[in-house]
Amino acid sequence: MTKYLTLTKLLFLQQFKTRFGIDKKKRRGTIALYVVLILCFAPTVVTVAAMMYFAGKFTHGNADFGTFLILLCQGLVLMFGIHAIISNVFVVKDAEKLLYLPVRAYVIFLAKLTVAYLNELITTAVTVLVVLLPFGMGASAGVGYYFMLMVSVVLIPMLPMLLSTLIAMPIAALVNLFGKNSYTKTVLRILLYVAIMAVYMYGMYRLGFLTGSENGSALDNTEEYVQYMLGDFTDKLNGAMPYFHPDYMLMNSMLAPTFTTFLLSFLAALGENVALLALVFAVSLPFYRRMLTLSIEEGSSRHKKGKENFDTKNIGTIRQFMLTDIKKTARDSQLGFQSFAGIIMMPLIVVVLYFFVGIADDGDSSLLQLITISTRYQVIAPLVILAYMTFIGSSTNILGLYPISRENRAIYILKSLPVSFNKILLAKVLLATAVMAACDFITCLLIVFLFEIEWYLGLAMFATMVFLGFGSMCITTLLDLKEPRLGWDNFNQGLKGVKNSWIAMLISFLTVVTIAAISVPFIILFVAFDKWYIMLLMWLLILGIAAGYSVVGYKIMTAKATKYFERIEV
Amino acid sequence: MIRLYNVSKTYAKANAKAVDDLTLEINSGEIFGFLGPNGAGKSTTIKMLTGILTPDSGTIEIDGINIAENPLRAKALIGFVPDNHEMYETLKGTEYLKFIGTMYGVTGDTLKSRIDKYADMFEMTDALPNLIGSYSHGMKQKLSVIAALVHDPKVWVLDEPLTGLDPQSAFQLKQMMRKFADEGNTVFFSSHVIDVVEKVCDRIAIINRGKLVAVDTLENIRSDNKVSLESLFLTITSDGESK
Repeated sequence: MTKYLTLTKLLFLQQFKTRFGIDKKKRRGTIALYVVLILCFAPTVVTVAAMMYFAGKFTHGNADFGTFLILLCQGLVLMFGIHAIISNVFVVKDAEKLLYLPVRAYVIFLAKLTVAYLNELITTAVTVLVVLLPFGMGASAGVGYYFMLMVSVVLIPMLPMLLSTLIAMPIAALVNLFGKNSYTKTVLRILLYVAIMAVYMYGMYRLGFLTGSENGSALDNTEEYVQYMLGDFTDKLNGAMPYFHPDYMLMNSMLAPTFTTFLLSFLAALGENVALLALVFAVSLPFYRRMLTLSIEEGSSRHKKGKENFDTKNIGTIRQFMLTDIKKTARDSQLGFQSFAGIIMMPLIVVVLYFFVGIADDGDSSLLQLITISTRYQVIAPLVILAYMTFIGSSTNILGLYPISRENRAIYILKSLPVSFNKILLAKVLLATAVMAACDFITCLLIVFLFEIEWYLGLAMFATMVFLGFGSMCITTLLDLKEPRLGWDNFNQGLKGVKNSWIAMLISFLTVVTIAAISVPFIILFVAFDKWYIMLLMWLLILGIAAGYSVVGYKIMTAKATKYFERIEV
Repeated sequence: MIRLYNVSKTYAKANAKAVDDLTLEINSGEIFGFLGPNGAGKSTTIKMLTGILTPDSGTIEIDGINIAENPLRAKALIGFVPDNHEMYETLKGTEYLKFIGTMYGVTGDTLKSRIDKYADMFEMTDALPNLIGSYSHGMKQKLSVIAALVHDPKVWVLDEPLTGLDPQSAFQLKQMMRKFADEGNTVFFSSHVIDVVEKVCDRIAIINRGKLVAVDTLENIRSDNKVSLESLFLTITSDGESK
């Protein structure tokens, strides 16, 4: 037990080791950043919380609906936590460091699983605060609900843990079966991840989420309409929720009218979740052992023999840099997966969104059909989608967020080369932008075909995205250069607590606000006069600002980069 | 060929000077051994010499070129073998060498013939098509040596180059260092293996706690020929002692 606790503490604290010893000035900066971020995200969070409050009020604390909300929280925990489970638990890069310790493999595994669980608690706590707390308030739930809310934080991550483990195992097994080549491994991982997330989202869609019957449109009172929608939705949930028994029991214990019901439901929920935990452990321990063996034997078993005919043609410094960078990233199991899976999420979300708003039951009109009829659709929709792409794109592109931290201990190679550092940086930013541009292009193509946006608007969105992406990459590259995280053994853990993606989100948010501020007067003018050239002017202005942003971003980066680079001590 | 004038360096997160007012001059055709206990400042000096770290004060010249003023020209003259063997693990050996070659402006047949020559010399031909991550410690060291030589540098800087090498490769490397110096180039290397330093070097310097405590030919440092370099090193670098 002592060994397990010591190892868990060590592995857990190791994630935050670089946070310790931060000087007061930096701490103040971090607090300021989080305050700004909270203010930026507050409207969205408050809207979600308000929706949950009214859902609680109108459903009168319906247990089926509450269980659905728990499932929703678990979906978010799964989405944010699955990377960590796969890369921290099953990708056993630290095997040789841990195996020589006088500790049994299952203790190491248990400690790793505990650390993954503790990390998931944070996501769970946030989702519970935003979703389940207002739901209970809306339902005028008793004291027991709020007490059980704290217990729920501990129990909710169990199902995502089991699912993550069940998902991680076939991914790793398939990768080992078919993926002898490093690229194939990364592609397989991403495809499986995308497929699983698509299945999850489709499952939520089938449960009836966000869909409503058109019959309700006959009701002219908003409150009545919402009540009707929720009633209709709850009816659809009926019968399905008890299949998610641990969650169903948990919600029943939270909403229990009597102590006996509470006790029985709670004991059932507790017992079932403990059983889930035992199942996770029993199923995945043999698999972990197998991965451990493979990771140690892998190095010596994959040597090819014989001389290779390799190409030594001069392709130029920048192209060579980009080629080397993409190769070393794509072949790294963690970096490759995170770099490309994050980017693929954007077109995937567009497709899923289309499922939600673009497809309707036979005889009904879809939401998309209803809104595309409006003449303002082609004016407003591209801007909204552009805002979404800007927001998601820049904060998920690992290539652009951590161009220097990715180098890790090999950073000395860059420092010793007789190549201008600005050239190296340009190569890194161009690579990140090129990968992002490919994703933007696919997304724009999907938007044009699925959401019936005019092709020339799709093209304008794409060009704007490329410019904005380049500018943002310059800024995030500079941020990473200022305080790179070097010397990590595990990319995920090494970059815990790094603010780059938050800052990227903030920058994107400000960009979106700027674009919105510019667009509003043009939209008003267009609605008033209905002249095509008003829209042309608006897009030209947006494009000009985006291009200016990329130039300014690049100038800022090059002005400070060399100084920051020289400051890095290795 | 290499000149360091009053070079000092203190790391941002440390109070003590890692290198304190170091002045050294190394000539062409010379193998120069740099000795010192752990944490004495050897690697810091080498990192400043190769442009990886910037000194707080002082100047460093490579073949008359000030590395602070013309870093790219100075770096192009150096071939560097680090002590940590951290490389791009997910690249193949050939890909890494092509990358390094391109950065130093060596491509095409020249690069190919040099890679073939050195790979053959260090018995790495079969290993080069594999990912660096699958290499042993010694193989990484050999790849590092080949990468340092593909651009035919004038100055060869090696930090603990013999660590992890098999006896054949260590012998080959020592022969190469001698040949390289005899062709009018300079070899600057640090080592803990005093026997090797004794046999290979033309001159040596000993650094302790960031300060240079001795620099000369082995014969001059060792006034009494019966005293071994090992005991001399231990005496010079022991607490409270300095020459």
